[in-house]
Amino acid sequence: MATTVVNPLREGLRLARTPEPSTIVIFGGSGDLTSRKLMPALYNLALQRLLPATFSIVGAARQPLTDKRYRDELHTAVGEHSRTKPLNEEVWRSFAEHLYFVGTPDERGYDTLGQRLDRLDQDLGTNANRLFYLATPPAAYEPIVKAIGAHGLRGSTGWSRVVIEKPFGRDRESARVLTETIHTVFREDEVFRIDHYLGKETVQNILVMRFANGIFEPLWNRQYVDHVQITVAETIGVEERAGYYEQAGAMRDIVQNHLLQLLALVAMEPPAAFDDKSVRDEKVKVLHALRPVDADRLSDHAIRGQYGRGFVEGVAVPAYREEQGVAKDSRTETYVALKCFVDNWRWEGIPFYMRTGKRLPKRSTEIAIQFRVAPHQVFSREASEGLDPNALVLRIQPDEGVSLKFGAKVPVQGIRIRTVNMDFDYGASFMVDAPDAYETLILDALRGDATLFTRRDEVDQQWAFVDPIIDAWATAPAAPPIYEAGTWGPADADALVTADGRAWRKA
Amino acid sequence: MAQGVTIDAAFWGAEAAGIVALERELKRLRRAQSAHAREQARTVARAAVLNLVVYADRELHARRSAQSISDLASRHPSRAIVLLADRGAHEGAEGRLEMHCHLPTAENATQVCYEQILIRARGDADERLASVVIPLLVPDLPVFLWWTGSPPVAGRAFGQLVGLADRLVVDSADFARPEEMLPAIARISAQARGRFGLTDLNWTRLTPWREIVTSFFDVPAWRPFLDTVTGVRVGFAVDMDGRQILPSQALLFIGWLASRLGWRPIEALAPSEAGGLLFAVARADGARIQIRVRPRFERGLADGDVSGVRIQAERDGQQAEFVIKRQPDPRHQTASVLLGGERRWERTMPLPSFEIVELIGEELAIMGSDPTYEEALAALVRLG
Ligand SMILES: NC(=O)c1ccc[n+]([C@@H]2O[C@H](COP(=O)([O-])OP(=O)(O)OC[C@H]3O[C@@H](n4cnc5c(N)ncnc54)[C@H](OP(=O)(O)O)[C@@H]3O)[C@@H](O)[C@H]2O)c1
Repeated sequence: MATTVVNPLREGLRLARTPEPSTIVIFGGSGDLTSRKLMPALYNLALQRLLPATFSIVGAARQPLTDKRYRDELHTAVGEHSRTKPLNEEVWRSFAEHLYFVGTPDERGYDTLGQRLDRLDQDLGTNANRLFYLATPPAAYEPIVKAIGAHGLRGSTGWSRVVIEKPFGRDRESARVLTETIHTVFREDEVFRIDHYLGKETVQNILVMRFANGIFEPLWNRQYVDHVQITVAETIGVEERAGYYEQAGAMRDIVQNHLLQLLALVAMEPPAAFDDKSVRDEKVKVLHALRPVDADRLSDHAIRGQYGRGFVEGVAVPAYREEQGVAKDSRTETYVALKCFVDNWRWEGIPFYMRTGKRLPKRSTEIAIQFRVAPHQVFSREASEGLDPNALVLRIQPDEGVSLKFGAKVPVQGIRIRTVNMDFDYGASFMVDAPDAYETLILDALRGDATLFTRRDEVDQQWAFVDPIIDAWATAPAAPPIYEAGTWGPADADALVTADGRAWRKA
Repeated sequence: MAQGVTIDAAFWGAEAAGIVALERELKRLRRAQSAHAREQARTVARAAVLNLVVYADRELHARRSAQSISDLASRHPSRAIVLLADRGAHEGAEGRLEMHCHLPTAENATQVCYEQILIRARGDADERLASVVIPLLVPDLPVFLWWTGSPPVAGRAFGQLVGLADRLVVDSADFARPEEMLPAIARISAQARGRFGLTDLNWTRLTPWREIVTSFFDVPAWRPFLDTVTGVRVGFAVDMDGRQILPSQALLFIGWLASRLGWRPIEALAPSEAGGLLFAVARADGARIQIRVRPRFERGLADGDVSGVRIQAERDGQQAEFVIKRQPDPRHQTASVLLGGERRWERTMPLPSFEIVELIGEELAIMGSDPTYEEALAALVRLG
């Protein structure tokens, strides 16, 4: 890092970690992600006064746009998608003054972009600190990274970093190739791979729950835990994303990244510190310990499904194969259930059941730690009829919070036990609106904190786990079983759990 | 007439005869509230993360702080004990404590309840206050003492109550005589070290100003100007007649710059036109910095709030000005940088709310005391 000047006024300010003056360059600046997520996030950071002292945003894409047109379009988009409404016009005006667009249809476009960046550095007295955000279709990642290198877009002083959207590759091999290409221009510590789940407050809260408190960790192992269930349930169907989804399926869209991240956070050992290296080192160890699924006995461990017609939230919805852009005989899975084991000292023999799907009855993301029952039943069978095993449930969305299920005596003469819920509601305890995941992630990338981003070895291990399952399904003679939209997936998924004498939670 | 102020039982709850009765009443209220919630298939969490003790000597202040606490309850549920020293009507009469309690529901967080207790000390009952606060504190939770008005630094009740607190919250904007009170607060703060934290809400109001001024000098090209400041001007709001002259906040700002940048006094604070102050300090390299603090009438600002800042600097023959202006409606700050008289950069940011409830909320989130404040205060006292 070049000249870091100390600012004596910073000391004692609560916002001690404000990003340095810099420029963010968004490739795919005219795309859907930019207008729905990135720009509203940047604007909300401005509203919260979290952007650096001098800061500018440059959007880039192949189709040219004037600065004025770009600002106008984003004005509308941010007005619509910002989590805070209505738009604060004063702040927007000042924000938009530092918002530019450069067309990059060809090599000349990249030179123009370079000149624009140099001029901004001069005007803003910044140090050529640049954050490149790749929000384009994945096919454009490699050409853009190469162009950044070839046209010297990294500033001569200051730092340069690159943020890459998901999906990162479509299998282990392509992810490796992509990483290698990126490494021709950026060092690994300059690469920020997005998994927006990690930016969610409640996901970060998993770590706080586990490692800031003394009471959970002693129970967090095979001795006390019976099994773990992780659910990522969506009610929506494929929507407008059929083109992408047909190629991806639930395995690539959710399991490879989000579900395995949640698994890693729940199963990891305590890191020595909350920093990028310690946290990610521990997460990778979990992925290494994840037992590969035996392809010969696939259906004992991995179940897929595809939604048929049905009703969701009272509305009749079409089957996946009837959706626009989906092949009539599509074999893409929209549902996955897995039974996994983490082969290490802490978790040996404890199943982690995971499921995700579209068109499920309810939108819900949660992690449930189901504890073993008390070793000896002191109370009569009748008395404990209403008693379920203890469970600690971390609800990620909606109704963010934590609840603990335990038995309590019903206040009557004699003993009768009923399961009660001790509830912590995130929203009610801290009435502040949680920041959007993209706000957190963009700010972290600007500060250079990679803790909440996926490292190369993590991505590699994630693909190493899912690849064989995807391959086995691709070559299997049968198509995925159809489940009715608005149900909890195919019957086989229930069998996965009931075979062990357990049941999916009523999410 | 000899009754003192009347207590509005609808607001404060019914009177209870003593601590035991008060606790019994709270329990009854809690049960009633859960029953009511159960009918609507909700549960009520009794939540408390802190004990908040408020001292007020006017019913108006007590009521206003109670309202703030209620607005805060969703973020910082507390057991709030409001002490109202109702001395006026009972001068010399025998002291007596009167207690009320109720469970207000926090706005938009009906599932959280918290407890509010009013202790009204009639007549000369100040020295009994601590004895009633102690049994009412929820054990094991931090105690915040929020003193409205100027604290009677030498007073016995003050000393006793501060002795119970983990944190003392004052508002120097309310100080009638800042030139006396600020040094007094500096002394309290020095004594407090290691025993309790001290917060001045007026300092919290300065945070957005400090943030922007700081951010100017994050820019590498502008950072060197910080060593070559030649003048600082700070405006603060006064009412139209210019009668309420409350420069504490503006002075704290100067104290902050002085403490961070090692400025030393060379001239005492001297009054200038219409309640302003004009003086000079010496930079670390000995050069002179002209400081001007002046009152300005501006609509929409609370008396004493900083209304604008201008920092002038010169380096290698280049003039630089760092300016922050405040726009009352809608509430914004505009920061601009001028080099050689030419505008180089400007941005507009919303100014966070200065409602008492926001300020208190901000402070309650932080447990320790703020050494930067202490240093700013100390520097200010040296300038005075
Ligand atoms: N949309 C979402 O909610 C979402 C959520 C998670 C992840 N993502 C990921 O984010 C990325 C973008 O998705 P999107 O939905 O925003 O796509 P989109 O709406 O199709 O936008 C793609 C953008 O990339 C630009 N682009 C394409 N090729 C380019 C190239 N070679 N150089 C420069 N710009 C190029 C396009 O403009 P031109 O055609 O003019 O070049 C357009 O601005 C994808 O990787 C997607 O998987 C999206």
